[in-house]
Amino acid sequence: MFGLPLAFASPWLLVAFAALPALWWLLRVVPPQPQRVPFPPLRLLMDAVRPRETPANTPWWLILLRLLLAALVILALAGPIWRPQASVASSAGPLILLIDDGWPAAPDWPQRRAVIEQRLTSANDDGRPVAMVPLAQAPGDITLGTGAEAIDRLRVLTPRPHLPQRAAHQPSLERILATAPNASIVWYADGLDQDGGRAFAEALARLASGRVTVHVADQLARGLIDPRNRASALTATVLRANAASDAAGTVRALDQRGRPVGEADFTFGGNDLAAEVTLELPLELRNAVSQLEIVGERSAGAVSLMDSSSRRRTVGLLSGTNADTAQPLLAPGFYIGRALEPFADVSTPQGGTADAIGRMIDDRVSVMVLADIGTIPDPVRPRLDRWISEGGVLIRFSGGRLAAGDDDLVPVRLRRGDRTLGGALSWEVPQALGSFSADGPFAGLPVPEDVEVNRQILAEPDAELPARTWAALTDGTPLVTGRQEGKGLIALFHVTGDTTWSNLPLSGAFVSMLERLVELSPTPSADLPGDGAASEQRNATPAEVLSPLRTLDGFGVLGSPPPTARPLTATISRVATPDHPPGFYGAAESPSAVNALASDARLVPLNLDGVAVTRASYAPAAEIRLAPAFLAGATGLLMLDALIVLLFAGALTLRRAGTAAVVTLCLIAAGNDARAQAEANDAAIMESALTTRLAYVVTGDAEIDETSRSGLEGLALQLATRTAFEPGETIGIDPETDDLSFYPLLYWPVVPEAQAPTPEALSKIDSYMKLGGTIIFDTRDALYSTGSIANGPGGQALRRILASLDVPDLEPVPLDHVLTKAFYLMPSFPGRYAEGELWVEALPAGGDGAADRPARSGDGVSPIMITSNDLAGAWAIQPDGSPRYPTTPGDPRQRELAYRAGINIVMYALTGNYKADQVHIPALLERLGQ
Amino acid sequence: MAKARIIEDTAAALGHAREVDGQTLAEAMPRLIVAARRTAATVLHGLHGRRRAGPGENFWQYRRFTSGEPARRIDWRRSARDQYLYVREREWEVSHTVWLWVDRSRSMWFGSNLAGDAKIERAVVLSLGLAEILVDGGERVGLLGLTRPLANRRVIPIFADAMRIKPEDEGFAPSADIGARSEVVLFGDFLAPVDETIAQLNRLASRAARGHIIMIADPIEEVFPFSGRTEFRDPESGLKFIAGRAQDYREAYAERLAAHRAAITAHAKMLGWTLAIHRSDRPASEPLLALHARIGSLEAGAA
Repeated sequence: MFGLPLAFASPWLLVAFAALPALWWLLRVVPPQPQRVPFPPLRLLMDAVRPRETPANTPWWLILLRLLLAALVILALAGPIWRPQASVASSAGPLILLIDDGWPAAPDWPQRRAVIEQRLTSANDDGRPVAMVPLAQAPGDITLGTGAEAIDRLRVLTPRPHLPQRAAHQPSLERILATAPNASIVWYADGLDQDGGRAFAEALARLASGRVTVHVADQLARGLIDPRNRASALTATVLRANAASDAAGTVRALDQRGRPVGEADFTFGGNDLAAEVTLELPLELRNAVSQLEIVGERSAGAVSLMDSSSRRRTVGLLSGTNADTAQPLLAPGFYIGRALEPFADVSTPQGGTADAIGRMIDDRVSVMVLADIGTIPDPVRPRLDRWISEGGVLIRFSGGRLAAGDDDLVPVRLRRGDRTLGGALSWEVPQALGSFSADGPFAGLPVPEDVEVNRQILAEPDAELPARTWAALTDGTPLVTGRQEGKGLIALFHVTGDTTWSNLPLSGAFVSMLERLVELSPTPSADLPGDGAASEQRNATPAEVLSPLRTLDGFGVLGSPPPTARPLTATISRVATPDHPPGFYGAAESPSAVNALASDARLVPLNLDGVAVTRASYAPAAEIRLAPAFLAGATGLLMLDALIVLLFAGALTLRRAGTAAVVTLCLIAAGNDARAQAEANDAAIMESALTTRLAYVVTGDAEIDETSRSGLEGLALQLATRTAFEPGETIGIDPETDDLSFYPLLYWPVVPEAQAPTPEALSKIDSYMKLGGTIIFDTRDALYSTGSIANGPGGQALRRILASLDVPDLEPVPLDHVLTKAFYLMPSFPGRYAEGELWVEALPAGGDGAADRPARSGDGVSPIMITSNDLAGAWAIQPDGSPRYPTTPGDPRQRELAYRAGINIVMYALTGNYKADQVHIPALLERLGQ
Repeated sequence: MAKARIIEDTAAALGHAREVDGQTLAEAMPRLIVAARRTAATVLHGLHGRRRAGPGENFWQYRRFTSGEPARRIDWRRSARDQYLYVREREWEVSHTVWLWVDRSRSMWFGSNLAGDAKIERAVVLSLGLAEILVDGGERVGLLGLTRPLANRRVIPIFADAMRIKPEDEGFAPSADIGARSEVVLFGDFLAPVDETIAQLNRLASRAARGHIIMIADPIEEVFPFSGRTEFRDPESGLKFIAGRAQDYREAYAERLAAHRAAITAHAKMLGWTLAIHRSDRPASEPLLALHARIGSLEAGAA
């Protein structure tokens, strides 16, 4: 309407606007309510003013105000709707809702669901038959039902962790459209064209020409692919479908238990659809990472799982010419190290060969590279054999020493001496790399054409040689040979690791070959081959069946696999399908990851240009019914009018109007009051932080709270009189709301009807106790509790309070406890009652068991004390200083002892256990005397 | 802003407090000797010597006996002194009758927060005070339409009771009771139209010797402190008037009020009556003193 997205539920009511001029006239005639006064000399006045008009006109602005009010009411009654939902092409006939419920729909799923539900509700109101087809689910016959049923189904519909299978639903759609030819179709698309989206849209346009609406979101899902564990960092690629999507974000790395390990930001440049993200983490953390996710993007596509194959191995590199480090480019290990660095961590142990190999085994390297080591020293040989048989990968490079040596730790029997090709004394030309064995680990690598081999070590030709040759030169002689040894591997490059024999180390193929070899090694997280290490299952054995372990749901949350998830075989591509949801498959120790997006995937936006469908968006809260707002405005104007009329009538003086306005503003600013209160709180906190105060917990029972307060006041008085500690004003606090951390000691009277604190309060109390605070729980029921302290009414309540709290072992205060000598020498701690005992955290039996105790007491102070003696009752004083309650039994000495107990407790809480040293004083004095 | 009010509880307004006020007021006054300029030929004895021979108790003069007079008039003791016969004459003493009238119409039942008393309260106080003074001075005082002339010492409670019994009167002071040449004191606001008021004054003047008018006004009626949209109601006639901006009428009203008062004053002067305007925020003793002075001065002026 008027170019605005505004419509009216009952537009005919707008006719009432025609009555506004009449209203204008009426309002002009009816004056505002005047101020009434009796006035005896009225006739005189009327004589005086007769020429003037009698009924005063209502001011024009007041009339305008009232007209506006009337207009608002008319508008509100007409039922204005802001942004009315795009009407479905045909407003009658069945409605078929196609819903993309794959992971790309997950990030804004609630919004989508709200839009769909709104549509279903209106269809239900109209009584239209509805069919709802989730496109990511298996296709089946489409049946029409009521909107209410569809809403029920929609509420349990959640996104699937794979892409929708749109094309699969086309036949059933054709069938239903054959039976219901006038059906309208609404497709709630996820906006990606991953599964023939455009073709599907064209098919829809063909099937139900002119009655198709497609909802496409503005914000398309983003994806995370290709997580790699590189030399110094984790890298991954963030994808987006179009440049309109968010250009920046954060990728978070999680470990196996879902704990965040690290985060890194990414930014798409310009119109780029892919962005690299780099997480710089230490190797140990990188290896712990099992999952990368885009923060805030709740979808399976925004999660990239990393399995053991992406973990970085540690490679030990040992060359026979370690002394050559003065010329690093000539060192045999240089090129190997550089080639390994992108995907493994290289350690180069120093020292003699035997020591270095032993150290590498100790360091649990996955791969050992021996470059031109002639002979493995005998002492280390058995360990090396065992390491290999338990899964270690030994890669050897040839060289002068190996050629001269006599070593059987090689895959094939070697001829002594080496073969030179293309030298000055040879008529043979340098050989190129011929082929990679299809069975070997290099299968599938492109054969580089620029590799030239000048020298090599030849193998004895025997029956096993072809099978063990993984790479051969053009003349068929082996370049790389390897053999399985136990669970490990021995591989031999028949050339050197440097460039003296060939330029293989300079080629890219060298890096790929080493990477393949390293990948054959066990992952570091599993039990590594080492001394006495348990055997370990090698991963990715061909034809092994991997059952689903934990899978992602559509929102990218790991959970138990759904019953429909099928085991994975090695031949299946590692991209999620309905049968194989993304997640971890295989054994729990070394699972294989399947991701929602292939590592080379790209996100393609759904392009509907030229397709004959109606486009719509997922505008949040598509319809806004304005009637309430209009009515509220009218009410406001009405109140304003009333105020004005009152002012006119004089019933409301300006001052009163001011008061009313102030009251209104106060109500409006109630929120601001909260802030003011917060500031007041700050003041209280400052107060508490700057002076040491005794605090008690407010129970809500006024008498008990008053007892606590006056009790602590009385104790504070005694403290100030007798000790160097002068406490500030006693304060009552509520652990639910107040910060406990300012108070060294908390007196907590337990009332029988006390309920357990809320979890938040409990966690506050818990951290208070663990960080050095002391709480005295006083059940005040020593008269009623028989036997144990927990039997009285207060004890029962105390049990409820402490039930979910981490309470350490308790014991009655032993005679040698610091509490008994913190200020006075106290054998017992009476309050109003003398029968009860004071319980404190049990002292460790000796040695340092401190770390094992559930609540470590800061500075040796017991975090908890429990008594039933009603300490505050004994301490409590009246304003004139006289005691408030009698003690039981009525021995005046008992009150003195109660104060002493209180002083001891406060001193103990404040000073900790330093008084424990007092026991040594006689010995120290004696020693000094001598 | 000024607050005007209508007194609804008439009994309370004329209650004991007014009597006390009147008494107090009267006690504060010097004894008022009313000198009658022209006395009515009433047979009733009063205290005032008329400075002429007539029935009375006090010696006035001896005059020569004229033949034809009754012989018993001769004062033999005086006549014995010389050769003539003398007649002893006494001063003619008569009591003066003063009629009071308090306007008790609805318009008088009105007060504002600018003055302590309502107009009616002030009028009653003044009338009671005046009555007490006059009775003290030996005059006979009556309330027009309510009581006959009294010289009773308990005149205040009697008058108050009379007014309490009939708190509202209808119309102007009735002239039926007024004896010839008695004096009339009118307490009222005199807000009725000038013609009406003049007609009534003429009617009274035709019977009474002379009169005094105390025009009582509430300050709110003079100051006109209203502003904004105001509805004025006349408590007497029930008329209503709504002023859009009351402040606009202030000056016109003040002029009209002045004209009204001037007309009445002029007519009173023509009749030989006195008129005083009393604002109810002023002390009540002011008009009483003035009245005292006037009633006293009349004699001087008439002698």
